[in-house]
Amino acid sequence: MTNHATIAAQIQVAIATLAEKPADSILPETQLIGDGSVLDSMKLVELCLQLEDMASELGFDFDWTSETAMSRSRGMFRSVASLTEQFICQLEGRV
Amino acid sequence: MILVTGASRGLGRAICERLTERGTEVLGISRSTDPFPFRSLSCDVSSYEAVKDLVRVLRRERTVVDGLVNAAGAASMNLAVTTPSSVSQRLIQVNLLGTIYCCQLVAPMMARQKKGVIINFSTIAVSLGLKGESVYVASKAGVEGFSRSFAREMADFNVRVNCIAPGPIDTGLLKGITPTQIAQIVDRQIIAKKFTPDDVSDLVELLLDPRASALSGQLLQVGGA
Repeated sequence: MTNHATIAAQIQVAIATLAEKPADSILPETQLIGDGSVLDSMKLVELCLQLEDMASELGFDFDWTSETAMSRSRGMFRSVASLTEQFICQLEGRV
Repeated sequence: MILVTGASRGLGRAICERLTERGTEVLGISRSTDPFPFRSLSCDVSSYEAVKDLVRVLRRERTVVDGLVNAAGAASMNLAVTTPSSVSQRLIQVNLLGTIYCCQLVAPMMARQKKGVIINFSTIAVSLGLKGESVYVASKAGVEGFSRSFAREMADFNVRVNCIAPGPIDTGLLKGITPTQIAQIVDRQIIAKKFTPDDVSDLVELLLDPRASALSGQLLQVGGA
């Protein structure tokens, strides 16, 4: 079974690749939406498509259109950490 | 494969039949479970969860969706002041939200393949500001505005989004409008002629054609307004 650290690393690499930055510059607190985001809207959609593929390989459907997805305060895209946490929650069927 | 909503009747049905005649693979979507002379699936596009389930099936089947034609629609001709709230909600739910749901859930499949065409349906009544259709017009004006903005959002993914706005066409949506009223609307078109489902199917084919690759965010008014 894929552990959480492996998933977090895969998401970090995916974001770094899309952002064209070194992986170690993508931190848990790195923003994915708003003025400080490392990704533009097109790259954010591409990230979601990659997460869909990753989820498919892990045997679940990644839902990136949830009510809280884009909320600045509670949304999954507010940081790398929140996205990773949401992805793992969905993997484990906790949402 | 071209996904066509509202496939059981009216313009959606005519478009499915035209594309099938041309040898294009079609998947017709409607609430009906009746068999059609083309592949079909039952789905109520006014339900976000139903559309999500449909897209989940398509993704699992690894279906390549080249085009989406949002022809599902509802009409009700009333003065705004005599329109029951349930009717207003139904018009917005089917015409506007149904179109938005299908676009936002199917478009990622197209974005993935960096290619696709989306055709939404408005009405010439928006441009003409027809009396007695205000709530219907509001729902379709929403479709026009959405289509224009959405076209920009999808342009980076090589997905084109356009809108067709027919005048009075002989379909079930004209129920309740008298021949005199129809003639008056037709007279206000630039080409004062009543067009047919075949004419609309021609425009759908035109927009789906790769030669329309320069067209996105456009409103094509059938007959002109």
